[in-house]
Amino acid sequence: MMETKEASIPFSKEVASKYGGETITLCYQCGTCSSSCPVAKATEKFNPREVFRLVLLGKRQEVFHSNTIWLCSSCYNCQERCPQTVEVADVFFALRNIAAKEGLSPNIYSEFASALINEGRIVPVSKFLERKREQIGLPPLKTTGIDALKKILAATGFDKLQLKKEVES
Amino acid sequence: MENLKIGIFLSDCGKVLAETLDFDDLTSFLKEVPGVTFVEIGTEFWKGSGLQEIVKTIKEQKANRIIVAESLPKLSEIKIVEAAEAAGLNQNFVQVIDLKDYCVWPHRNVPFEATEKAKATLLAAIERAKILDPIHKLEFPAVKSVLVIGGGISGIQAAEDLADLGFEVHLVEKAPFLGGIAARAGRFFPTDDCAACIQSPASDVKTITHTSRKCIYRSGIAAIQGLKIYTNSQVVKVDGEPGNYRITLEKKPRYINEAKCISCNLCAEVCPVEVPDEYNVNLVVRKAIYTIIPNIHPPTYVIDEKACKFHECEKCVQVCPTKAIELDEKTETTTLNVGAIIVATGFKEYDPSVIKEYHYGEYPAVVTNLELARMLDAFGPTGGKIIRPSDRKPVRRIVFVQCVGSRDKRWNNYCSSICCMISLKHAIMIKTAFPEVDVSICYIDIRTTGREHEEYYEKARELGVKFVKGRPTEISHDPESDLLIVDVEDSLLRRFLELEADLVVLATAMVPSEDTENLAKILQIDIDEDGFFKEYNAKLRPTETKKRGIFLCGGSTFPKDAPSSSLQAHSAALKAFKFLNTGKIVKDQKTAVVNEEYCGDCEFCPVSCPYNAIELVKVDEKHVVAKVSDLLCEGCGICVGTCPLNAIDLRHFKQSELRAQTKAILSVNKQNKPLILAFCCSECGGASIDSAGMTMTNYPTNVRIIKVPCTGYLRIEHFLEAIKYGAQGVMVVGCMNNGCHHEEGIKKVEKRIEAAKNLLKEYGIEPERIELLNTIFIEGDKFAEVARVMTEKLEKLEPIQFSKES
Repeated sequence: MMETKEASIPFSKEVASKYGGETITLCYQCGTCSSSCPVAKATEKFNPREVFRLVLLGKRQEVFHSNTIWLCSSCYNCQERCPQTVEVADVFFALRNIAAKEGLSPNIYSEFASALINEGRIVPVSKFLERKREQIGLPPLKTTGIDALKKILAATGFDKLQLKKEVES
Repeated sequence: MENLKIGIFLSDCGKVLAETLDFDDLTSFLKEVPGVTFVEIGTEFWKGSGLQEIVKTIKEQKANRIIVAESLPKLSEIKIVEAAEAAGLNQNFVQVIDLKDYCVWPHRNVPFEATEKAKATLLAAIERAKILDPIHKLEFPAVKSVLVIGGGISGIQAAEDLADLGFEVHLVEKAPFLGGIAARAGRFFPTDDCAACIQSPASDVKTITHTSRKCIYRSGIAAIQGLKIYTNSQVVKVDGEPGNYRITLEKKPRYINEAKCISCNLCAEVCPVEVPDEYNVNLVVRKAIYTIIPNIHPPTYVIDEKACKFHECEKCVQVCPTKAIELDEKTETTTLNVGAIIVATGFKEYDPSVIKEYHYGEYPAVVTNLELARMLDAFGPTGGKIIRPSDRKPVRRIVFVQCVGSRDKRWNNYCSSICCMISLKHAIMIKTAFPEVDVSICYIDIRTTGREHEEYYEKARELGVKFVKGRPTEISHDPESDLLIVDVEDSLLRRFLELEADLVVLATAMVPSEDTENLAKILQIDIDEDGFFKEYNAKLRPTETKKRGIFLCGGSTFPKDAPSSSLQAHSAALKAFKFLNTGKIVKDQKTAVVNEEYCGDCEFCPVSCPYNAIELVKVDEKHVVAKVSDLLCEGCGICVGTCPLNAIDLRHFKQSELRAQTKAILSVNKQNKPLILAFCCSECGGASIDSAGMTMTNYPTNVRIIKVPCTGYLRIEHFLEAIKYGAQGVMVVGCMNNGCHHEEGIKKVEKRIEAAKNLLKEYGIEPERIELLNTIFIEGDKFAEVARVMTEKLEKLEPIQFSKES
């Protein structure tokens, strides 16, 4: 029963309504994306064609309650070669945006986000980094325009995202 | 002007209509109208004694305009007009009105209002009758001769049909030999016979039986009476009109006198020039003087201009026993006079080298299906063997890749429809002749939609062909093993495969033949978004174009298999026959006419005319006026709606007639509901109103109906006039947006309605008083619903008030 109910939710339409997700319904499962995908060839955990299939079948839970959508490396090989001009990598961003809004992003992204909000950088500037730069003759890093950045993050709603500590698998 | 004597015949359909309509009231009302001579009530006016009654009464009463209220639109109209013409009346002086479906069936619950609506409808017809002009029949001569462009399977079939029917036929082929793409394919599916096998001419009664089919060279095609074949030739110019086209042909030099050549091959033997043979996948070389396959027509040779050294060499000239070689031959121009043209230019393989990841053109072992067909053909470069192009060793592993450049939005969005079958046919041929060869087909979907097609799929599986569901991402070359690697996901197994292959065959898309676009310009016919010639109507007129006298068949409209091409060829031939058979084109002068006093110096109407029927003619050095071709004009009136100067009108539906009807139909109003004037087109829009009546679907009687030829005829002032004469709302009922019978009419009126709404806003009138309804015959209920909703909406608005001065 659960299966039927879930399948009836127009998940593909939800994804298609998001920025980057517009082309999802064009997918006809030819597998060009997966055979083009360096990640899929390295690990069985990721297969873009399969993720698209789940989206088209309306398997919302299954898509978001796994780490799969975060594994795309955004190399855009699939997007170059898709015969239906599905913006494969961009669809993954759309899926991640939905997941993030619902607090379903992996821990590491929460850390990145907090760092960005608090320090204006994803990777904090450490003593080690500063020393390294000095050694190879690079100028010290400038301070970030954190106040301006905070305004942008507030305007886009980024700071309001409920970033969960851990994703259930 | 003669005195108007308008006669009215009212059919009561065997008293059924009298249950709703008050015929006494109606008759006395009509008799009061000036100009009406008589009103006659009968049971049925469209057949038998009813028709005789019409003829008799017209003669007795000397009526010069008649209005007949009768159901069964069109059928009754044809019969009644015929009868009236027999009584000496011009066809345009007859109006047939469907009172039953417009005023009775949809309003049976409100007899008084129904009668009022009938009065209004008939009054409109009377007022129109007063200003009608006669419409005359026109005759145009038609030459009983046909040009067929393209000498492939469909062109040959169509040409033979028409020659058998006694027409003079000119068959023009651009290539040096007949046969088209089909002749290169070796064998056909689903018949498994040779590609060079064609139907035999029926005219050859001595050697041909009913069931005969023959190779092109044995078919006697060159001997068919009335059929002239022009190879190496191209249509460069077409002038004239349907039924009478002047064609300019350019015949490129072959440098061989066909009549003298005896195909002894001595010329090719001595020719010192060798070039790659593109006809045979460049797997072999050919001479500069060459022929393609032995069973071809014409049975002669041709000289490759780019390769031949001409007078520097002349070896062939010296050796030719019949002196057939003429090195100084020049391009010749011929003109033909034909009545109709059949376009059979076919399709070609898409060049897959644009798909960089498949490396076609870079790796010699990546070939197309047509190139493989040459290898499989016993006349081909390898005598039927499949070899590796690099070292010419036998092939052990072949991988087919389907949908190369088709079903691909980057190149061609459509499914080329025959490539699955071509690959299956080739896979079966290979597996049957060389069972040890490993054959795989990488596919997205296998499409076998024709009769006996699925059997090919079944047989391929039985023979051990491997099917991999997945579209390869890349074909790479391993220099060590000199093998190709096809990188594909078997999506059913969810496993990545690297298929090794000696030969990779690309099932490439089929695209329009070269020069299709140019030919479309020469013929002034449309091409679709994929570049193929566009037929008039895919369902009902698949082999006709918008332009009378130009027909299409075979692969020129879309990639198709031999049986479908053949079918279309016969269809196109029949259409050409029907068009020309009487030697003349007869048509009513129901056409547009230009008022030259107002017209000038713009090009709105020639651009908007869907039939290219209007051209601009110079009146003096600086000025042009529009001129309508009575032959090409279909009388839709889109030009009327478009003309910024209101300088064009329809002979059979003048704007003054529309105005008179509008005024009259809104003048009878003894009810309190707000009047709505519905302008409907004569096609789907009108039919949906008919169907509301036929199915007795109720809608309010305040909706009055006027039929126009096409909604594209309507101008903004027609809507405003309706409001001026008392309409509280205006409906425009036309075809679906993509279903206009005159292509663009409905889209054009949609824009005008938007403009009219803006104007109303300016005047302080609610813009929702004008509405557009796109509909089809079966949607009578939709019309009724929109009419009801609009009436309710208008009832809530204050009625429009005009000050005295307006």
